[in-house]
Amino acid sequence: MPIRNLWPYRWLLLNFLSREIKSRYIGSVSGIFWALLHPLALLAVYAVVFTAIFKVKFPELEGHSFILFVAVALWPWLCFQEGAQRGALSVQNGGGLIKKVAFPHELLVYGAVLSTYAVHVSGFLLVLVVLALTGSDLHFSSLPLVLLLFSMQLLFTSGLALILAALQVLLKDVEHFLTPLFMVWFYATPILYPASLVPQQIQQIIALNPLSYFITRVRELLMTGNSQIGWQDLVMLLSCMLFFLIGRWFFNRLSPYFEDFI
Amino acid sequence: MQRPLISLSNIGKNYPSVATGGNRLRTIAALLFKRGEVPHFCALQGVNLKLKAGESLGLIGENGAGKSTLLKIIAGVVKPSTGQVVVNGRIGALLELGSGFHPEYSGLENIHLAAALMGMSNAEIDSKLDSIIEFADIGTHIAEPIKHYSSGMVVRLGFAVATAMQPDILITDEVLAVGDESFQKKCIRWIEGYLSQGGTLLLCSHSMFHIQTLCQKAVWIHDGQLHMYGDSFDVTREYLTYHEEKNSKAAHLEREVLPSGVYQIRKLWLENDSGNVTTLVDIGGVLRICGVAHSPDDRPPVILFGIVRADGAPIYGTHSNETAYLPNQIAPSQYGFCVRFSNLQLLPGKYTIRAHAMDPEGLRLFDTVSTSVRITGQTRDYGLCRLEHEWMAAREDFIAMEDN
Repeated sequence: MPIRNLWPYRWLLLNFLSREIKSRYIGSVSGIFWALLHPLALLAVYAVVFTAIFKVKFPELEGHSFILFVAVALWPWLCFQEGAQRGALSVQNGGGLIKKVAFPHELLVYGAVLSTYAVHVSGFLLVLVVLALTGSDLHFSSLPLVLLLFSMQLLFTSGLALILAALQVLLKDVEHFLTPLFMVWFYATPILYPASLVPQQIQQIIALNPLSYFITRVRELLMTGNSQIGWQDLVMLLSCMLFFLIGRWFFNRLSPYFEDFI
Repeated sequence: MQRPLISLSNIGKNYPSVATGGNRLRTIAALLFKRGEVPHFCALQGVNLKLKAGESLGLIGENGAGKSTLLKIIAGVVKPSTGQVVVNGRIGALLELGSGFHPEYSGLENIHLAAALMGMSNAEIDSKLDSIIEFADIGTHIAEPIKHYSSGMVVRLGFAVATAMQPDILITDEVLAVGDESFQKKCIRWIEGYLSQGGTLLLCSHSMFHIQTLCQKAVWIHDGQLHMYGDSFDVTREYLTYHEEKNSKAAHLEREVLPSGVYQIRKLWLENDSGNVTTLVDIGGVLRICGVAHSPDDRPPVILFGIVRADGAPIYGTHSNETAYLPNQIAPSQYGFCVRFSNLQLLPGKYTIRAHAMDPEGLRLFDTVSTSVRITGQTRDYGLCRLEHEWMAAREDFIAMEDN
């Protein structure tokens, strides 16, 4: 189905989105604040471990605090990890609907991924404001490019989530692989360390990780204000689009048969 | 020629059997690259069906016959393995209870979700919200989460949303059964109004009453295949007969007295008034039970006959001694008999007619021979047979009668 055929279902997507966001925090007293609390707690742990215990120092900080260095990378990572994980399970969790109503199944995945991005991008912006107010030197002029970067990452996440979600319905094993997969992926991405500290031998491998591109780029944009766009960015933009289309092809190829397996 | 709203040709559905991991991987590969055989079992096979605008079609069949699968294929929830589905129109499908409801959500929020699933915009939903709430008629519960609802209340809400959608084709799968009496009536009234305005209905139900009242045509699905298609009265009657026979087979095996005795029925047949052999009689028509009995000692035997419904419920029986009827000899040791019903008021259905030969004293039963007859016709009467009656005007003094 061409993407434009999804237009009549925009209300449904909106409904899935608000349903995802609400259901995540429904029944909890502090509600939406959990969305902010979780990454903040992670950030606090990393800050204590790496600045108070390990006392890390590297040239890339350039006078910025380690907290800022990690914070700028942590939210994009969480967007990706949570988005992909929630997206991967969204079709299985929406089984009740799939068995009874005819609608484009991919909307379930988009609802899950988009809601994660909506929650964490707002959290990210809030944290940036707080960091700026507490004296961090941030380049807010490159914020539009940062948001563009988030959209590219969103395309990549959706593509991956579509593939994982389709496999999860048919194979069930996928969800068990997700936790170790993302743990390894987290440490293989320059979040707690700059890419330059990686030994020469495995630098090639790290460079293959699309997440290192996103995170290095976000850091460049916000911390050094380097908003030059090169051919590399264009290649990444096209790759993200291509990956999303591949994910859609894979998902929609299998989606007519979901009902048989759920 | 009007274009059919729904047109199914050679529809089949195989469900993959994925008990083992290897099967699952093979299935995925086969689905992705559209080749190779997938281990499967067959739920539906070779179904052809057309539904024109304004028609109402009932779907009946045993549990597991494939009715729900067929409805799901038409609703677009399930992709058929073979054949083609063409649907021209907006489908409103009520498959099972509370399609598309989220248990944590309030009734109101679920109305929005369900309506969005049916393709309505927010503005459209808001404009119809009042009528939906009024139709569902569940009072202040509308603001509570669905998980606290009874199944009847969920169905009320689901049906209310479907009515608001005004679909070209309404598909309902056994949803009426859950509502209470007054809600069922409300739904039936609504469906009747919907049909009279040219709506098209596809109703799946185990209630033959609903099928007969709401549907012109009916389809009987049996073992994944289209077993019978036709007028809803004919199909439901066949279907009920099938069940009666099935029950009687389960209840007791046919009692066969071996013709060890000397008196026996040699032939038994049914004929109409002009003497032609038949097994079909219109309700209120003429039926003759005829036969030939064998007597070893050239004394006319006593003939006993009985009529039972297909499930074994006895309706009427008598023997020739009652009226001092004697079978007349038509050949050496052969005695013919004939019983005539001038006005057979059995209700439509299938009945078994049994005949027995007894000794002339009417003391011993020697054998049993049976045949069956089908009564045809349309009626909304209940029971086994029609009793003669008339409706009369009330007298003034009725009011003075004591209350029960």
